[in-house]
Amino acid sequence: MKNLILIAILAVSPLFAQVKENIEVPYVAFPIKMGKNFDAIQTHCLMCHSFGYITNQGRQSKKFWHGKVVKMVVHFKAPMDEKAIQETTDYLFEHYGNGKLQ
Amino acid sequence: MERRDFFKKAAVVAGAAAVGTSTTEAGITQQPIDNRKISPVAFPEKRPLIMYSDRPPLLETPRDVFTSALTPNDQFFVRWHMPDIPTHIDPDTYTIHINGLVKKELHISLNDLKTKFEQVEVTAVLQCGGNSRSAFKPIAGGIQWGSGAMGCATWKGVRLGDILDQAGLHKDARWIGFNGSEKAAYYETPEFIRELELTELDDNVILAYEMNGEDLPYLNGYPLRLVLPGYYSDSWVKMLSNITVTNEYKKLFFMDVAYRVPDNETESETPEKKFKKTKPIKKMNVKSVIGYPTKESIVNHKSHVVVRGVAWDDGHGIQDVMVSTDNGKTWDKALLDDGKLGRYAYRAFRFPFKPAKFGKTTIMAKAITKIGEEQPLAKDIKWNHGGYKYNGIDEVTVEVI
Repeated sequence: MKNLILIAILAVSPLFAQVKENIEVPYVAFPIKMGKNFDAIQTHCLMCHSFGYITNQGRQSKKFWHGKVVKMVVHFKAPMDEKAIQETTDYLFEHYGNGKLQ
Repeated sequence: MERRDFFKKAAVVAGAAAVGTSTTEAGITQQPIDNRKISPVAFPEKRPLIMYSDRPPLLETPRDVFTSALTPNDQFFVRWHMPDIPTHIDPDTYTIHINGLVKKELHISLNDLKTKFEQVEVTAVLQCGGNSRSAFKPIAGGIQWGSGAMGCATWKGVRLGDILDQAGLHKDARWIGFNGSEKAAYYETPEFIRELELTELDDNVILAYEMNGEDLPYLNGYPLRLVLPGYYSDSWVKMLSNITVTNEYKKLFFMDVAYRVPDNETESETPEKKFKKTKPIKKMNVKSVIGYPTKESIVNHKSHVVVRGVAWDDGHGIQDVMVSTDNGKTWDKALLDDGKLGRYAYRAFRFPFKPAKFGKTTIMAKAITKIGEEQPLAKDIKWNHGGYKYNGIDEVTVEVI
């Protein structure tokens, strides 16, 4: 896994110089809870966004997490079948849930 | 973009913003979370900020930055939607395309944009519609921002109207679509496109390549972004690549599903009963944020403290900012800056305060617009499912020692 990459910032640079070369956005390994169905999270969520995007939603109901996963499938076209939707929802509610079904 | 190896087990690294796990009762809006730690990681051209995600990058400006009317570029908040942002842009070949219902399609290079059109500047607040979302209880969906998903800058560029004039609009032209360069991981994912109705266009709408006298920072949309003064930032498309004029509205995820509030008078609903009809968040409501002191500040008894902060709305203008240091029993006018940055900019305010008692003291700030709109108390703000448009009276509690 890549370590954090810190970009040296050119304090005073001529116009445009800062993007004359490839920009590299740091990779951050967010803490995430391990548990049942974590594999599904790795497979389906990380393609598009960091774990931070998940854990910074706050603790939510099962209905909320299910809705989020379905949004990813319906609107963002994540290739997930029913089983994948079920597994990711269960994981999210188990570890980042608020205990309420809805 | 190079695909990183995402599939190994995630290491634990400090720096992720902590999620609020407060157990406040349901249905009560409160002050947004105000204890986020600055990340140890600095993103390109940015100082270390509060970080929620690296991909897409989500960075929040700390409270203490909001003491002046302009927000420094390297502390300006960042919010992208897609994982894949171009990592190389060649300003010598970058071209923006204008097509659709125009008499003449245009392909304008960055250099032509800077030399062949009238150059204009506008100072305007850029604020995420979900700024301060962490105030809502039960927790609304989305990143649990504190109050720093915003900033104010002087934007320099070319009027969109001038460009459309040069292209020449067809008679039936009605909508202008803006396409950004960020890409999703899957081809089928909808692109980040926004549409603006022609009637919403005025001379303050510009395509900007400069921010506070410098090139746009990469993470703020280099080399060119749409600037829509008065509107929430979801409409300010970054890394603009294409402008398409159409006669009918296209259905778009980021217009029709995200960034919407209940279409009723109070723009509110309950978690149990969501309001079916929704509308885009569009224009900002009146709001103010205290930049100093913060809860970490050392405030000495009988010392001369100057409370500072910023206030803004969607362009009607700020009439007054009122400050209270006795939990809202009495309010006094703060001093406002000269307002020379224009009606879309922050008005910086300051308020002399000599703490007369020891212990916890709460400072509150309330902005009032020129048309008489004023900020409500946090607890009087009604819930909406997306946690949008929070504008409660800001509070900072300090310990006077």
